Amino acid sequence: MTRSETPSPLPFRLPAGGLIDRSTEIRFSFDGRSYAGHPGDTLASALLANGVRLVGRSFKYHRPRGLLSAGPEEPNGLVELRAGARREPNTRATVAELYDGLEATSQNRWPSLRFDLMSLNQLAAPILSAGFYYKTFMWPAALWEKLYEPMIRRAAGLGRAAEAPDPDRYEKATAHCDVLVVGGGPAGLAAALAAARTGARVILADEDFRLGGRLLAEAQTIDGRPALEWAALAEAELEAAPEVRIFRRTTVFGAYDHGAYGAVERVNDHVATPPAYEPRQRLWRFVAERCVLAAGAIERPLVFPGNDRPGVMLAGAVRTYAHRYGVAAGREAVVFSTGDDALRTARELAAGGVTVAAWVDARREPPDALREAVQELGAPFYPDGAITAVHGRTSIQAVDIRTPLFQTTLECDLVAMSGGWSPTLHLTSHLGGRPVWDEALGAYRPGAPPPGMSVAGAAAGGMTLRECLATGGRLGLEAARAAGFEGTDAPPPVAWPESAAAATLWRGPTGKGKAFVDFQNDVTDADLELAEREGYRSVEHAKRYTTLGMATDQGKTSGVNAVGILAGLRGQGMAETGTTTFRPPYTPVSFGAMGGHHRGKEFRPTRRTAAHAWAAEQGASFVESGVWLRAEWFTRPGETDWMQSCAREVATVRGAVGICDVSTLGKIDIQGPDAAALLDRLYTGTFSTLPVGRARYGLMLREDGFVFDDGTTARLGAEHYLMTTTTANAGKVMQHIEFALQWLWPELDAQAVSVTEQWAQFAVAGPRSRELLARVVAEDVSNEAVPFMAALPVTLPGGVRGRLFRISFSGELAYEIGAPSSYGEALARALMEAGRDLGVAPYGLEALNVMRIEKGHVAGGELNGQTTARDLGLQKMVSTKKDFIGRVMAQRPALVAPDRPALVGWKSADPSVRVSAGAHFLDVGAAASMENDLGYVTAAAWSAHAGGWIGLGLMKHGPERIGETVRAWDAVRGRDTPVTLCAPCFYDPQGERLRG
Amino acid sequence: MAEIALSPPLSAFAALARHGRHGRAEGPAGVVVEELRGLALATVIARKGRAADLAAACRASFGVEPASTPRRTAKDGLAVVWSGPGQWLAVAEKGHPLTAGGADGLADALRGALAGLASVTDQSDARGALRLSGPRVRDALAKGLALDLHPRAFRPGDAASTWCALIDVQLWQVDAAPTYDLLVARGFAGSFWHWLEASAAEFGLEVR
Repeated sequence: MTRSETPSPLPFRLPAGGLIDRSTEIRFSFDGRSYAGHPGDTLASALLANGVRLVGRSFKYHRPRGLLSAGPEEPNGLVELRAGARREPNTRATVAELYDGLEATSQNRWPSLRFDLMSLNQLAAPILSAGFYYKTFMWPAALWEKLYEPMIRRAAGLGRAAEAPDPDRYEKATAHCDVLVVGGGPAGLAAALAAARTGARVILADEDFRLGGRLLAEAQTIDGRPALEWAALAEAELEAAPEVRIFRRTTVFGAYDHGAYGAVERVNDHVATPPAYEPRQRLWRFVAERCVLAAGAIERPLVFPGNDRPGVMLAGAVRTYAHRYGVAAGREAVVFSTGDDALRTARELAAGGVTVAAWVDARREPPDALREAVQELGAPFYPDGAITAVHGRTSIQAVDIRTPLFQTTLECDLVAMSGGWSPTLHLTSHLGGRPVWDEALGAYRPGAPPPGMSVAGAAAGGMTLRECLATGGRLGLEAARAAGFEGTDAPPPVAWPESAAAATLWRGPTGKGKAFVDFQNDVTDADLELAEREGYRSVEHAKRYTTLGMATDQGKTSGVNAVGILAGLRGQGMAETGTTTFRPPYTPVSFGAMGGHHRGKEFRPTRRTAAHAWAAEQGASFVESGVWLRAEWFTRPGETDWMQSCAREVATVRGAVGICDVSTLGKIDIQGPDAAALLDRLYTGTFSTLPVGRARYGLMLREDGFVFDDGTTARLGAEHYLMTTTTANAGKVMQHIEFALQWLWPELDAQAVSVTEQWAQFAVAGPRSRELLARVVAEDVSNEAVPFMAALPVTLPGGVRGRLFRISFSGELAYEIGAPSSYGEALARALMEAGRDLGVAPYGLEALNVMRIEKGHVAGGELNGQTTARDLGLQKMVSTKKDFIGRVMAQRPALVAPDRPALVGWKSADPSVRVSAGAHFLDVGAAASMENDLGYVTAAAWSAHAGGWIGLGLMKHGPERIGETVRAWDAVRGRDTPVTLCAPCFYDPQGERLRG
Repeated sequence: MAEIALSPPLSAFAALARHGRHGRAEGPAGVVVEELRGLALATVIARKGRAADLAAACRASFGVEPASTPRRTAKDGLAVVWSGPGQWLAVAEKGHPLTAGGADGLADALRGALAGLASVTDQSDARGALRLSGPRVRDALAKGLALDLHPRAFRPGDAASTWCALIDVQLWQVDAAPTYDLLVARGFAGSFWHWLEASAAEFGLEVR
């Protein structure tokens, strides 16, 4: 950054004026070339100041394009901002605040912006007309994937996403207020002031880096002073108000239910690198009692041949560049307008020394006062006129002007066009409100805005400063009152009367060259004609067919013109032709902001067990199991393959003793006089008969009769049970119980609460598990004292209260021992210490899975929401003597059909051939077809005990075909393996080991 | 073989909360956080139709009247936090006489006093507890909490069960400083802490 006292030498910077800091020069680059600008510039204003007119190439035809606007509606000036990992494509140069070192690159051109070979697309224009996506490349269809699509994608791509992870931080946050004011122009400032003076909590959000809105862009007077002085006073008052928060650089992009609004704050987009600990952007959820929308208006382009040439700009933008940024958008300007508003532009240009070469007015009889004012500027005035051609490709050389009386060609380098102003009413339609056509205004007004929202100023169609100040103040006060605050009416600040008179012209006379309606998606008036001719009557259909309004600018400058053209083609009014509504976001929102903190490992919360650190020390590899992290296996020195670790862990449990952290299983404490009755209704089995101190396996159905979940539930007291669920369904079962207690049977006196996090629990499994536990637990753990399925409180070292359950998932003599979670890690270490001489080792989910498959216990693969108790061979668990959830629906014919796939075991004929879950069962010799499909493999494991690959599966008539050989056909992995069907239990079918 | 012992209990944030200053180093810390260790917690759920009797028994035995709105009432280190219709979380400060024999002493005492009126479950190990304060604590919490903590909307004694950064939390305001106590399920302590560190970093975070 350098400071200089000399006036800027930039070719198009006006000698004075503008809200820029001329004493400070900052450098930036565009397409690798270095330029100068000032603080207060946007990238767009700085490029114009440097005489850079050509900023991009259009989407389809790769036509050279310059800046159209000076605001968020910009369809042409899209650039890649920054470089490397921070590269951000499709950034609108018109709202990119200039900073020292800014790097920008043009997009959609090859090899360079000036010589773009893709512009040859223009020669192919006849085939790129409306609907070309749907028509041209339809045949032969085989070429779609290999040729057409890649070709279109390469040619059409706008910008390139960064290829490295974004190094910056993003955040999400919520802010509450009584009154949200969207827009910091005159209406918004007036609304915020009025609301703030009542003491209401006010949020004022504006997308610009400076408050003021249109007051920044033109010479206006309020209360007899320059309008900016009024704005500065308003801003100072708001800054000082304790309950007002001003959000600059913040776009409110969406209106949602219940007074919620989405907004994105560009906290650090105006610096190269965000300061330490600060985010680049912050996504806000504003929750507001009331909202005043004061979003202003967007000027409409005129549709005439060559209206997309660099140098054809919106009249309002031309004066913004002159007044706010001190930049002349050209040297000789022609104004083409349908209304009086562009007079400000002509005056601003003349004041800056730019020649106003002509005023072309589309109206047959423009006001005399306007004619006189224009002629005072020394410009010829052409009523009932139109521009019919623009000469020049990458800049304007001249324009053809035609009136009923004559035709002329006029040299110029700038066209300032104005087709009237459209209220920025997008937010009013986000919840379904349809804009309403106002013939007198020549624009759509907001229809029914969302509850709690009122619309002030230009956004409501009040285009004059006087109306903005008056409606803003009134609606700001009304909003505060509606939120429960009191205030007194105050007269609005004084502004001079002005003329907003305008006519509408949807389409000028046709001539040579394309007349664009949607600049960003390259949609012309001829495309709309084609859509109309081909029968796309609905505006929504015509829009989709032509892609009009479907680019990132969402048709901000094209939507209304398109409806007007369609109305003209049909000889209808605007109201009959319709309009399109808008959806969030108003302007693009980055994925970074939407993700906020929740990216990478923090994408969603992770749940760790109390003994996580101990498991990590033991060499655990963790896997996500729902939100939990669980140990899959524990790698020991010398083990190179997880299957080695897994096999060792299985051998440890089968031969000695192993420890497995099972804390993630859902644990629900159920108490009350009706606890037993509740469980009888939740489970297929009976729990009211369970003695205190014992546990029982339970199966739960959904209301529709399919199996929901399973687990072991223990009776701790007469009115006290402890239910366990699978890890995956812990939350769902809790909801299920809440639903049952609150809605199905509110008469039951039972209380349920999750204690999953209260207890750390470990399976201690293997023939030496009892020996190990005897060293840890104070009580007698003999087979007599703690028989199979016993459940009892125990005392852990130091008098800590624990719980002991004699249950087994592995098929071995096994227990689960629980301790309060604070002692989870301590208990794991104590168990390891106690079992050291017994050969103890921790085991993970994979070993657990191998052993449960060997035992034929069902788990996630079988409890998949599509199986019944019968399918799983668990019919004996289903009581016929009582009612329970799912009982009736489980008897539906399709759920008891004899050919439903049922649980079966299988063993691979060749131990060296692997079989994976998902493989389909087929008869030997049968073709792989849907008709021949017999079912599929739900679980597979390598079993040392069985000496090969074994598993479970669901197969039609499977239990009746035990002993037969079928095939496990795995199209994904390209395997086709013979397997022998067997009973779904490979290990100790009599259960002698677990009862021993 | 040697006598098997249990090592001392570990609090939820024990391995996470590194004492000292984190994030922005300049100026006073915007957010101050301290893990509340040794709290005794118990859920108290009224038996069918016994909420009023429960409240009376609670008042008689402990001098605390359980609220029927999202509020926390407290006396002499024992608090009752409304957590849902007919549900409360009882919280005894570290060192409270009821917990002399261990944190589960609270649940035992409640069970005794509220027999037949409530189901009581010890939850002392199920949550991690943080005390949050500092001039920017509301701004930091706003990055995860959708709740309005403005003094007009949320006052000392107010309590809420809600979501913070996608994690279930229960919190209440302790004083007007403002100071908040916040409970999070123990298993989520790591994710919550990462969010808190990241969200408070720009204001400067002091871990006590």
